[in-house]
Amino acid sequence: MTYDVYMHFPVIAIMTLFVGAFLVTLVGKKETARNIIAGAAVLISLTLLALLVKPVFVDGQIIAYWMGNWEPVEGYAIGIAIEIDALSLFFGLLVAIAVALSCFYSFRYIKQDDARGSFFTLYLMLGGGVMGIVLSGDLFNIYVMLEVMTFAAVGLTAFRTWNPNAREAAFKYLVVGSIGSTSALLGTALVYAQCHTLNLAQISAILPGNMNPTMVLAFALLFAGFGCKSFMFPFHPIAADAHGAAPSSVSVLISGVFTKTGVYGIIRVSYFLFRTMGLTSMQTMLVFIGCVSMFVCVTMALNQHDFKRLLAFHSISQIGYILTSLGLCTALGIAGGLYHAINHTLFKGLLFLTAGSVLYATGTTYLEKLGGLARKMPKTTILFLVGAFSISGIPPFNGFYSKWMIYQASFEKAAETGSIGYGLVTVICVVTSVLTLASFVKVGHSVFFGQLRPELENAKDPPLGMRIPMWIMAALCLLTGLFPNIMLDYAIYPATNAVYDTVPYIDAAMGSGYAAEHLLSTTPFVAQLRTFIGAWNPISWLLLFIIVLAAIFFVSVSGKGGRGRALEPDAKHAVFFGGEEAEYSHISGGDLFWGFKHTMRHYLGFMSRVHTGVTNDYVLWGVTALAAIIAYCFAFML
Amino acid sequence: MMLANYIGAIALVVIGFYAMIAKHDIIKIVIGMGLTDYGLNLMIVSIGFNFGGTAPIYTFGELTSGMYFVDPVPQALTLTSIVIGACVTAMALALCVRIYNEYGTLDSREIRRLHG
Repeated sequence: MTYDVYMHFPVIAIMTLFVGAFLVTLVGKKETARNIIAGAAVLISLTLLALLVKPVFVDGQIIAYWMGNWEPVEGYAIGIAIEIDALSLFFGLLVAIAVALSCFYSFRYIKQDDARGSFFTLYLMLGGGVMGIVLSGDLFNIYVMLEVMTFAAVGLTAFRTWNPNAREAAFKYLVVGSIGSTSALLGTALVYAQCHTLNLAQISAILPGNMNPTMVLAFALLFAGFGCKSFMFPFHPIAADAHGAAPSSVSVLISGVFTKTGVYGIIRVSYFLFRTMGLTSMQTMLVFIGCVSMFVCVTMALNQHDFKRLLAFHSISQIGYILTSLGLCTALGIAGGLYHAINHTLFKGLLFLTAGSVLYATGTTYLEKLGGLARKMPKTTILFLVGAFSISGIPPFNGFYSKWMIYQASFEKAAETGSIGYGLVTVICVVTSVLTLASFVKVGHSVFFGQLRPELENAKDPPLGMRIPMWIMAALCLLTGLFPNIMLDYAIYPATNAVYDTVPYIDAAMGSGYAAEHLLSTTPFVAQLRTFIGAWNPISWLLLFIIVLAAIFFVSVSGKGGRGRALEPDAKHAVFFGGEEAEYSHISGGDLFWGFKHTMRHYLGFMSRVHTGVTNDYVLWGVTALAAIIAYCFAFML
Repeated sequence: MMLANYIGAIALVVIGFYAMIAKHDIIKIVIGMGLTDYGLNLMIVSIGFNFGGTAPIYTFGELTSGMYFVDPVPQALTLTSIVIGACVTAMALALCVRIYNEYGTLDSREIRRLHG
């Protein structure tokens, strides 16, 4: 292996964040120095990963770095590896972008908090932990980083001393999250017992094809463990609690980044380590879990009265899309899932940051207490609309393209297998998308439009330092939607290729020829993606969008008469109103879809009652899910 | 023998999960988390244990052909896992103290401001 300067970048990218965390503690209360250190750490990390784009995505190299230069001896990996293939780099970049933007947002945002000294320590630890997971090539290191990440996230959830719910949310998170950590560790131990190695590449070479009952158990445990970290269906209530209680800039990380490590883990476990993804039973399980998460969480979101809690449920709903798409196990499905992963990080990050701005300006995120903020916070409103359009999948924003890929992938799968189930999956995806749009109409109506609440007269747009990260995210939302071909060629396809062809990953770490020697079959189990996706021309959609915007602008400028103003009681109306002042009245967000809600009242009421908020119930769900996954794997995978 | 270790480990994990599901006192929930963790540690150490093996520290002069040793990797994993488990317990108990100050109770059925 020739010496290459790129080899050292990943490990430095992880270390900068951890070193930054300790330096931030050292400078303590000096705010400027603290901000400079935190900003420098996240920027260095982002730059180093961005420099890897050319060798990894374009040239197709895979970087295997052995800590302390302990290279494999006689086909046994004895050292600890950091291995970057296109999949790792894809998730690493996504993490680095979200961490950097959210960090710059936090500088101003946390000025309202009292314990500011420790915020960036925990923040950088969280970033470092996540980065460690996606770049690591060692199963146990992934577990350790998972715990580092969970601790930092729990600490940050409990961080707001003035939020009365924060400690409760953090406790639930810690308890239910420990089920995931426990099963991931047990799975790791069982894999070690079988393979006598913890190196991902070596396990990927010797494990597939040797599935005995122990390995089925190990697979089920690892799958459930990472599933818990991605907050898939039965683990979703803790996510909602944690997102609502944490500061918004942390919610960005928990929703956009933390959940992606779970998705990354599921990909690594089921596509690489065990190669079980080729089994129909495994595909059915993942698609089923994805669809249930998608639908349950979007209906829960319709029921919410808190801005951030609503966003949290949507977050899990979008994770459902990603899991469904990955579970299809077709090249188009994987590409759609990965594309949706990065889009979700961008638009959900943007939405959480706008929620944070609303909280910063008004002191509340409760939908019934807000209204008419568009007049006071026009810039935030525009940013919110960009995020809402993106998540609802309205062209030309990015959500449309990835959702389109997912619809197409599930439909193709249905056509290919002739199964009615996959057709139903497409239907659920579309219905969920409609409900997503509906609930964002509700948020837009009750927060930004409608009549201004008298007590919100003093609300104003957040300062520039908070707006710039939001503008960058909004721009990225639009760019990834407008230039999907560039995204696909330079990021998504390399990552997709990495997912379905594990041989280069194994050979890069263990020496060439290792995979061919150990794997039973080296042929990828999904066909290469060569089809042209959809008839989608973003430029014409953009033109249409601009024309519509111009029309709205024209109408609103030319018709600026009495619109938007409270009507003065004139002589004519005085007869009917008795000359009284028009009273403040606002259709609350909860009432906007009352017809729909009334029809669905049994289901929605049931769902609302089931989410009791008692820690024991959530643990029961988690353990039941774990048991069900284990039972399913034993029944259908042996 | 090792079978006893495995049964003990599984039993500890099951008891821990039972405490987390059935006990409404949040301190007992934390104890349940601890028990699950101890069960896991026992499991991992047992995986690496070779009956009659020596400690994995030797020089080449001492090495004879019939010798074998206990696998050191699971022990290192267990050490890490014990440290993490202690941190989890400490953090959970700290949160319990704060929750008791704020809610005036340790009953998980009453600590449910976030629901629905």
